[in-house]
Amino acid sequence: MKFGKIAFVIGYSIGAMALARPGLAADTPQQAELRSEVAAKGWIAYSARSKNGSWDLFVSRPDGTSRRVLTDTPDFEEAAPRWSLDGRQLLYRRIAKGTEINHDLWGFQGQLIIANADGSDPVIMGDDQQLPWASWSPDATQLICLNRKGIDIVDIATKNVIRSMPRKGIYQQLFWSADGKWLTGTGNIAGKSWKVVRMNAETGELNPVDAGQSCTPDWCSDSKRVIYSSRPPEQKTNKGYGWTQLWVADGDGQNGSLVYGEEGVHIYGGAMSPDDHYVLFTKCTEDGGGAEKTGGPMFIMRFNDTPAITGESAEMRSIHPNTKDGPAIEFGTGWEPCWTYAEILQGR
Amino acid sequence: MYKNLVVSYFRPVAILLLLGGLCLSCSKESGPVADGKSATTAGDDQIASQGAYEITAKLLEIPGELPDDPLYNYAFVFKYEIVNVIRGELDSKIVYIGHYKPLEPRDTVADVSSGEVGGNLKEFRAGDIHHMALEVPIDDYFMGGIVNRYFEENTGPIYWAVWTNRAAD
Repeated sequence: MKFGKIAFVIGYSIGAMALARPGLAADTPQQAELRSEVAAKGWIAYSARSKNGSWDLFVSRPDGTSRRVLTDTPDFEEAAPRWSLDGRQLLYRRIAKGTEINHDLWGFQGQLIIANADGSDPVIMGDDQQLPWASWSPDATQLICLNRKGIDIVDIATKNVIRSMPRKGIYQQLFWSADGKWLTGTGNIAGKSWKVVRMNAETGELNPVDAGQSCTPDWCSDSKRVIYSSRPPEQKTNKGYGWTQLWVADGDGQNGSLVYGEEGVHIYGGAMSPDDHYVLFTKCTEDGGGAEKTGGPMFIMRFNDTPAITGESAEMRSIHPNTKDGPAIEFGTGWEPCWTYAEILQGR
Repeated sequence: MYKNLVVSYFRPVAILLLLGGLCLSCSKESGPVADGKSATTAGDDQIASQGAYEITAKLLEIPGELPDDPLYNYAFVFKYEIVNVIRGELDSKIVYIGHYKPLEPRDTVADVSSGEVGGNLKEFRAGDIHHMALEVPIDDYFMGGIVNRYFEENTGPIYWAVWTNRAAD
């Protein structure tokens, strides 16, 4: 055995002990290598249940270490954190205590809060249900919001609506690409519902991204590809309902391909690392992502190790016979994770 | 033009009285509908206060299987032939109307996604005549999945069914 391999095995053993995570299986060497690889790559924010039962916001290193709470507020439910692209600010929704977070309607729930990236100095941006589905503009000076009447672009400093446009059937989860040219959301198009769509931010022109039943899209940082959850119709498992999988496609709908799937769980919370090298997702045995309960276990994979299928997943493997099946590491339990490479806790 | 064809004499005043176990129907002032049957039922008075449009219309068909997925809230677009326009102006004899989760009875279908919708209709059946309060366009009143199998056929507006009663037999 060469020195490098010996060193890795010793390091892996020490690391496995140091990273012992209650309730989680020990890492394989491949998982340990991935965990070590991402450990110092910024922070992941997510919503999770606190010990008191309420939803709070947490951050951890991508390897699952250094977990800490950002909003220790038993009198509120905080959910859906999203860092600005520069990693300096964080937006999320603060919802009345005891409210069930609805996986399809959470963007309408509670107040929008904007805080520093570490959760400090939270500012209430509006009343309950105002600024629905708010998400960042690329430069974090504006918000894009989605309501029944249309899409509003709101100046954060003045809270004025500076531009409105028809929503053209989009009804959930609206996000702006890093280059500012595109929006993606879940909507109705060509008579069909539950479609991930792309909208030209200037002209409002709309096109489908995915042909199946799909939702919860997010942009890759290249502003060209969209990652999203999809439940392809050809599945016969799960009593014909099938399993929700993570997919990626070009914004124009071309080159759609599986990222991750596993029969027995539904995959949601798909998001990319800031450099598109890694992918985040959650698993949930019940469809919907788990917002109504406790979320689900959260995972990281190298994007280059996808497409991947875990477990027996016989039908899925028959449809996708050439998967890479690289390692995935679990780093906690939660809902709607997002990733920044910024060092958000400096000075805390 | 189906502009207020019978608005002057169509009055949704059907009242059911239960007396000693007997159900007696009061006389109605309802206008005739296409099949000669009355257009109103008990509870129709509620429709008069809902929506910008009030019509009776015949459900022409059930366009394929209705989605049966309790996780996903959606509206389903049906094609109707107008029988009477009671309130509002509609320019076409055929209208396309989105109903929220049509597999469920109207009196229990409302939820946080739909807002206030209701009625006494239990089941959607081709050929039935419905007495409805409507709004338009659907996107201004419902923000969710819309299954529209008439997408290629209809380029006009889709109405939103606020209240849906089955017209009396």
